Amino acid sequence: MLKVDPEQTKLQKRKTGIAGLDSVTGGGLPAGQATLLLGQAAAGKTVLSLQILANAIERGEAAVFVTFEESPAQVERDACSFSWAGQLLSSDRWQLFDARPRSDAQVAGEFDIEGLLSVVGATVEDASETWIVFDGIDQLLQYQPSQRAAVEQVRRISDHCEAQGWTLLLTGKANGSRMAPAHLDGIEFLLSATLILSAEMCNHQLKRSLRIAKFRGSGHVTDELPMIMDDDGIELPFHEALVDSDTTASTERVSTGIPKLDKLLDGGIYRGSSLLISGRPGTAKSTLAAHFAEAACQRGERTLYVSFDELADPYVRNLASVGVDLRSPITSGLLRFVSLSAHSTQVTEHFFALRRLLDRFEPQCLVIDPVSALLKATASEEACMVTEHLMDLVRRRGITTVLTSLTGLQDPEGEATRGQVSTIADSWMVLDYNVRAGERNRSLSIIKSRGSAHSNQQRELLLSDAGVDLADVYELGTDVVMGTARVALANEEALKERRRKLERQQHRLELERRMELAEQERRRLEAELKLEAQESADAELMAQVYRREIIERRDPDSEIHPAQRGAGEGELP
Amino acid sequence: MSLRPESTEFAMPLLLLFVTGTAPRSQRARVNLFRTLEQVGRADIQPHEIDLLEEPKEGIKHSVFATPALMKVGQSGDVSVLYGDLSEAEPLHRFLSDLNDE
Repeated sequence: MLKVDPEQTKLQKRKTGIAGLDSVTGGGLPAGQATLLLGQAAAGKTVLSLQILANAIERGEAAVFVTFEESPAQVERDACSFSWAGQLLSSDRWQLFDARPRSDAQVAGEFDIEGLLSVVGATVEDASETWIVFDGIDQLLQYQPSQRAAVEQVRRISDHCEAQGWTLLLTGKANGSRMAPAHLDGIEFLLSATLILSAEMCNHQLKRSLRIAKFRGSGHVTDELPMIMDDDGIELPFHEALVDSDTTASTERVSTGIPKLDKLLDGGIYRGSSLLISGRPGTAKSTLAAHFAEAACQRGERTLYVSFDELADPYVRNLASVGVDLRSPITSGLLRFVSLSAHSTQVTEHFFALRRLLDRFEPQCLVIDPVSALLKATASEEACMVTEHLMDLVRRRGITTVLTSLTGLQDPEGEATRGQVSTIADSWMVLDYNVRAGERNRSLSIIKSRGSAHSNQQRELLLSDAGVDLADVYELGTDVVMGTARVALANEEALKERRRKLERQQHRLELERRMELAEQERRRLEAELKLEAQESADAELMAQVYRREIIERRDPDSEIHPAQRGAGEGELP
Repeated sequence: MSLRPESTEFAMPLLLLFVTGTAPRSQRARVNLFRTLEQVGRADIQPHEIDLLEEPKEGIKHSVFATPALMKVGQSGDVSVLYGDLSEAEPLHRFLSDLNDE
């Protein structure tokens, strides 16, 4: 009985070099087999194929591209739209064959593609080091008189790949709502792997996606995956392999740049965590975010500052007027200011641009002002997904992030929730106006701050040319008092305090005076007592002398004359 | 590298039959072509056979990858191609109809 080694038999894969595609396929496309790539016109089939070949060339492998639809010149032009064109087209390991059927070709019976396989086989030196693309083979197979014969040729290609160890991409044009070309119906289930590309108009913009319709013998993501095409070609922005998070939850606190706010947050926000600042227009969200960026740069940390719909120069100038200096760190290169236009592109492309910025600049801190602008971008139904992916990305990379979110006039907490940011961010503070007695004062309240004791009280936010500061809290009943009312209350408090101080001083003086009087009395009594003691001592002495004289006088042996005795009795010495 | 046939190289012979060894469709094409040439009275024409299994580079040179395929090169260098095993008589007759004018 033949023994089967599961490791040897298991489907082997070859990397396409497209990070997202390699991630969702668990390592690439089937090695030594044919993969079918289907899609409507302009869905990106040719570009995806060329990009895989360019990546193969970069790895030192060989690439064979057989075109059945576009002219070789057009294929080269296609490639030239992308950054990798040069290394692909100039490589001596790149071969491009023109296999377009002649426009006036006629048919008289069934044919096969053995010739094609033979021609290509002659150019392949080492199949394990070569990627082959048959681009638009349906253009040739449509000449088969029967669908059966056409499908049979696709099967023949598949068998040949398996026998010869060719890793091949076979592209074909989808037919309306059907996945496969009209005359190749059913081929989507023939090969071991099938990818479907699509490009649909959504809000006047092209929305691209990729789906793995089939991947025999391999786990894979089955969803329709948003796909973008930019100067670097095709990418699945949400599906690049995630960096295994080796960031341990930091206990280090990072300053928000506003000492009093740090105090409210128990020392600042945790390094690597995220803070959402939401609020209506003009509530100083940007200023607060800029304080954070300024503080980060002062600590010497690389900071990426992404502004939607605001140009760097006016933005930085306006911040300077409230005492925030971003110009210096921009000049020193510590702060990278990037201005993006929310409307210009799709939310998925914004995400990818942000991801590339994070890859290239490797910031320690990030500000996005406002992240809610993503909701304005087209295909913004994906904004929630984008923000979730973004937060996941920065968290895994340990980037301390401050996001601002613009909320509606009537609904200060609404849009932050719509974008899902508020649920994902570690800390969330809401800036608002407090209107009282004809005054509009800015307020700040911390809605949540994970892992921190924090004040839940609304604070007054003060904006001056020295930047943002928080005013001390004054309560009036159950309310927090701000603005002039706060100043009045503060003055009243100060007056009361002064009065209390004076009263305490007067009381002390009174006590001191009374203590002085008591001391004087004590001293008088002491003197009196002393005098009295002196008098008492004198009297006692005289009494003793008198008693001694009496005794002597009455003594018979005394030398004192009796006459003297009588005479001297009762006299004092 | 991009290759298209240099059509003017083949003023003669007039017919090129691209085949792949002894594949059944290639075999049928040989038989069908021979018979039809006889039928149209041009048995004198000897089609030049190119076996892509033996000469794969010829496929690139003439941009013919499907076999069997019959290529006709006119006196003026114009090239036309008929794909298939030539089992369908009508298109084959039509394709060869101008041979007598050559």
